[in-house]
Amino acid sequence: MSQVDTRGGAQAPRSRAVELVDCDVHAQATEAMLARYLSPPARRLLERYGRRTPRVTEWYPRARNAGMRVDAWPDKPGHIWGSDPELMRAQLLDEFAVDYAVLEVLSGQDCYDHPDFAAEWNHAVNQWQVDEWLGFDSRLRGTIAVPHEYPDLAVAEIEARAGDERFVAVLLPASAAEQLGSPKYWPIYEAATAFGRPVAFHTGGYVDHRGAGYPSFYLEYHVGNGIVMQSQLATMVAGGMFEAVPGLRVVLTECGVAWAAALQWSLDAAWELMRADHPRLTRRPSEYVREHVWFTTQPIEEPDDPQHLVWAIEQARLGDRLLFATDYPHWDFDSPKQALPRVMDASLRRAILCENALELYGLPRERSA
Amino acid sequence: MDKLDCDVHCAPSSYQALFPYLSDYWRQYITQAGIRLNGLAHAYPRGVAAPAPSSYDLLADRILGGSTAPRVVIVNCLTGFETHRNAHFSAAMATAINDWLREEFLARDSRLRASLVVSTVSPDDAVSEIERVGEDPRFVQILLPVRSDLPWGQKHNHPIFAAARAHGLQIGLHAWGRAGKAPTPSGFTTTYLEDYVGNQPIAQAQVLSFVSEGVFERFPDLRVMVSECGFAWLAPLLWRFDKDWKGVWREVPWVKRRPSEYVRDHFRFTTAPAHLPSDPVALDHVLEMMGGVGMLAYASDHPHEHGDGLPSLLGRLSEDERRAVLSGTAAELYGWTAAA
Repeated sequence: MSQVDTRGGAQAPRSRAVELVDCDVHAQATEAMLARYLSPPARRLLERYGRRTPRVTEWYPRARNAGMRVDAWPDKPGHIWGSDPELMRAQLLDEFAVDYAVLEVLSGQDCYDHPDFAAEWNHAVNQWQVDEWLGFDSRLRGTIAVPHEYPDLAVAEIEARAGDERFVAVLLPASAAEQLGSPKYWPIYEAATAFGRPVAFHTGGYVDHRGAGYPSFYLEYHVGNGIVMQSQLATMVAGGMFEAVPGLRVVLTECGVAWAAALQWSLDAAWELMRADHPRLTRRPSEYVREHVWFTTQPIEEPDDPQHLVWAIEQARLGDRLLFATDYPHWDFDSPKQALPRVMDASLRRAILCENALELYGLPRERSA
Repeated sequence: MDKLDCDVHCAPSSYQALFPYLSDYWRQYITQAGIRLNGLAHAYPRGVAAPAPSSYDLLADRILGGSTAPRVVIVNCLTGFETHRNAHFSAAMATAINDWLREEFLARDSRLRASLVVSTVSPDDAVSEIERVGEDPRFVQILLPVRSDLPWGQKHNHPIFAAARAHGLQIGLHAWGRAGKAPTPSGFTTTYLEDYVGNQPIAQAQVLSFVSEGVFERFPDLRVMVSECGFAWLAPLLWRFDKDWKGVWREVPWVKRRPSEYVRDHFRFTTAPAHLPSDPVALDHVLEMMGGVGMLAYASDHPHEHGDGLPSLLGRLSEDERRAVLSGTAAELYGWTAAA
């Protein structure tokens, strides 16, 4: 039997080495786009009552362009920012030669929904990703939206999607009804880990502004996203979550990175003072962070002296833990061409722009061009 | 070296110690309700913190003796950081605590200063109390907790700042506060360790509030001393604050300058807790990122333990820097003479 060898010469499929992975891209579904996936009872609820609860944009209106890039609104009926794959491909994938883009669809994140509805709604978000995005462009990867306040239902959704390797992570909000380190959510983390997926916590969700109380402005809310995540990371470590799920990898998304060192010094110092009271914690808090925690870069901090950012990354030992992200199509989009300061050496830039993400998500180092 | 101590705790050992300063009504209320002071046990549990001195003699014995004693000490009484919601009770307690502070501490030793205790639930009552005792120069700042129902910079609190400035007082923003609701930005905690570390993120939210609400445009002479909330977090917070402000300044047109400039001009931080890297080079970097030690003011935070960060920090500083931390920052903030 003779076969034509198509692997060499002019017949070989062209491939390119991966150089840029964008780990936080927002595809956004309208209610109508998801409604078609719902059962008649769930669709009736949506039609009669809507989502019922105020969106964060109602609490903290964004004073210009509704918080989006001004050019991100598609000129297509029925579409909103982030809902049109063609526009995203032109403005992001092609414009910046992105090799892989990880979609984080925030349309499912709410904790007010009835469990029946929450399960269907998140299932719809994922099926919409499959139907409209993951097949649209081979550079796209998805994250599994889950009804996180109902962990058994969330686990079922993870199981339903785990066979599709294009889903590279499980997506949770950065604020929930309970602290994200609470044992309530551990079954979700166990399932994600069992299926080889990190858990990405994305800014947003049930932000109750406890502690100092509700701020007045989007400015405070938005800077505060980093503050909330500090608090969440503290409780993840202190509550023993990383001991309970040893293989767990978490990605803290859109919350900043430069605060990571100071929080670890504080946690370590507190642990030194109280370690005998925390028998579950067999190691210093910073060691759990080092082993289990990744950060996306956007919105990356911009000190006047860019060297300070490099120091902050070194202090937190994040060189192999940072994942580049643009946050397309939001107003504070970080450009792959400009966001990382020139004082970063080439190996650190390369780690942040692609190596760390390839390693974390197990993505191929070459892709067809 | 000259030393000004910006945070030493004191607390009455019982409500009964405050009875001389409370009306019959409140004495009966307390007695009939059977409530007791517990030393702010959610903040300072018995296993990790010794009780704060309840008398001048105890305080003097512990920190005012010997040749290394501080030249000036600010006493902070957190007993007013109640959990209850009764504004009338809160106002009565503030009055009683201030009178107790004057009688038990300020009258006993000319080295002592105090934070003026106010109602934490009623700005009106806070203003009344400032007007009642604010002329006493031994009160140097208004004591506010970092945990709050609403951030302190908001408009309804501005009369407090106006009254403070009218009496030459600053703001002392101190760790802890109301315990009856979820204490952190992310919800209820299950360990003290989270609460302890949690003061630092909460303090960050308060910094954002003061600046974003334009407090320092309205009260250009107002300063805020943040006590027992750490400071290593400050530089990264300001990097992000400045960046976001550059993008969304239209929302807060009364913020005329970069947020970091307001913070550098108006905020100071006590050295407790000094949660810092053990590597000296990293420590140098942290200080450089903060723009030096000019915002730091020494506090023993007696009787609370925070590890060995403070001696490590002081040991790393030049003599000039050490002098600034131990006395210069506080002298400038409170208008005290620079040296004895």
